Amino acid sequence: MSDKHRVVITGMGALSALGATTRELWDGLLANRTGVRQVQRLVESGITVTTGGEVDAVSPENVERDYEIANRAIDDALAESKRDAAGCGFIWSTGLDTFQMGSDGFVHRSAGRCFSNLASRFAGPRRMIAAACASGTQAVGEAFRLIQNGQVEACVAGGSSVMLTPFYLIGFAGLQAVAIDNGDDPSLACRPFDKKRKGFALADGAGAMVLETLESAQERNATVFAEVIGFGMSQDAFDLNRPCDDGAGAELCMRRALADAELMAEEIDAVNAHATATYSGDLAEAAALRKLFADRWRDVPVSGSKGAIGHAMAAAGVLEAIIAAQTCARGIVPPTVNLHDVDEGCELDHVIGEPRDVNAETVLSVSFGMGGQNAAVVLKRGLNG
Amino acid sequence: MVYLMAAARQDDLAKVRGEKPELWRQVRRYNKPVQLALAAADEVMRFASDPATAAVISLAPCQPGSADLYSWGHVVTSGMASGTLGNLRMNPTQTLHAVDNLAMSAFAIAHRNHAYCLGLGGAAGQAWCGIEAVHERLSAGLEEESLLMAGDQDAAEDGSPGLGVALLFSTRAKPFQPLDRIVRLVSVSRSPAIVDVVPHAANGLAALLSAIAEHRDRVMSYVVPPAHTDGFSTITVALEIS
Repeated sequence: MSDKHRVVITGMGALSALGATTRELWDGLLANRTGVRQVQRLVESGITVTTGGEVDAVSPENVERDYEIANRAIDDALAESKRDAAGCGFIWSTGLDTFQMGSDGFVHRSAGRCFSNLASRFAGPRRMIAAACASGTQAVGEAFRLIQNGQVEACVAGGSSVMLTPFYLIGFAGLQAVAIDNGDDPSLACRPFDKKRKGFALADGAGAMVLETLESAQERNATVFAEVIGFGMSQDAFDLNRPCDDGAGAELCMRRALADAELMAEEIDAVNAHATATYSGDLAEAAALRKLFADRWRDVPVSGSKGAIGHAMAAAGVLEAIIAAQTCARGIVPPTVNLHDVDEGCELDHVIGEPRDVNAETVLSVSFGMGGQNAAVVLKRGLNG
Repeated sequence: MVYLMAAARQDDLAKVRGEKPELWRQVRRYNKPVQLALAAADEVMRFASDPATAAVISLAPCQPGSADLYSWGHVVTSGMASGTLGNLRMNPTQTLHAVDNLAMSAFAIAHRNHAYCLGLGGAAGQAWCGIEAVHERLSAGLEEESLLMAGDQDAAEDGSPGLGVALLFSTRAKPFQPLDRIVRLVSVSRSPAIVDVVPHAANGLAALLSAIAEHRDRVMSYVVPPAHTDGFSTITVALEIS
């Protein structure tokens, strides 16, 4: 390890259904509040999925919405870190291409073009990550690796997604992954690990982190929110649409992240779970975590954020890493919004109803992509966090 | 040390369907870029010592989707404008055509591969990030072999031509197939340059393979044509061929 750089987080930016800042995201979670709601423009379109996590800070009429949402998160992270883009690498996911209606009609939005536009103000490396729902976490992990190995001093890492379009709402409904309207309170659409879960709520969002070497952060006297100490990837190699029942692929990426961090599972204080609220996904994740923690699984607080902000796909993993970094910095694990009655098979030490102050210093944050890509990062409290 | 062990190009799906019916059964429901990438990968993995443990680095297409998906996109967006979407359903297979990591997932399932994976998105020039990632991981001893695969099409809307490319790298010096020469990947270097690009996940790698096939000297310094870069860099791939 001696020839490797330590990597710390010195800036964060988040746009989510809970607001346009990391502070609003964190405060909303601590208040056990959800930003998922019925979206009027979707109601007017007549489709069967009308709930989602919308980012209010950028108009849905804006055909540059994908670019705007991403740039705001990036700018916030850079401003907090007091770094310039021109001195950073850029490891980012802009999610999937999509189709929407603009003022001039049909608009095809290219995720690749959006990435290139965003990347233009950064130094290299510029890598666009494409690992479905695991993209945001993998972006953080890949940036960590590049900095750790001395290939770059600092990177902006994260992801952004604009998913609240009929194209994707109908598409994911066809895959039986999203919660269909059935007269329930829209704010309860996404219920991770709950007996009444019926899928996730799609969401727009963006999350950005500035990662840099500890030496650089200390030289600049920057605030260090958390340190990234481990990263692991794996593939399920099982099915395109669902995880293996025993969560073997998920467990493998978590074990790889722990090995990379040179930690034992008992040294993890809390988990930020993927927690999509899909039937098979939550079961597999809970099984993986129970196997990882063995006889200690009842004592490791687990929290998921998709009940509060929905599933922002390419942005999901980095938004969750931002929450994990806040947990490291403050020691507090936020509750899993909308979890009331834990389903059989989903048993874990869930944080329900209110935040739990456990002085958590080391947090595992995980993401599992549709198609079977799994990513995990381990974060640790920073020097002045 | 990192060596290029095998490479394949594939642009003829009718041939795949006719000559490899089992592979075709696996890939037939995917869209063209994914089919072509997987068919090329199938060719090179014959040379892998253990396909289950190779790192998998996969490039998403710059022109993703399919004619079916585009057609469906028009239906949805026009229905949205007129408020007539109702209970419109989407064929799940077409949803898959929009997914950026599909080739990587399908490859992993076919080869029982649980190893490290990196999906790179459909922005211009990501192929060279893929080669850089191969070099980083194999040089660090994290894996012994790594697959880099890409599939793309000239346009998604109309079923126009496509190309799949796969390269298999190894830490062991084995003759590069089909040239029967040892090809060592020395480095990938960049210098700033603003240039116009033609985004395509596979064309740049195919051009590199053509250049390797024609090269006669030991040292090869391949300057990536500007159209195949990310638009921000002059990229040079250094190789040794013996």
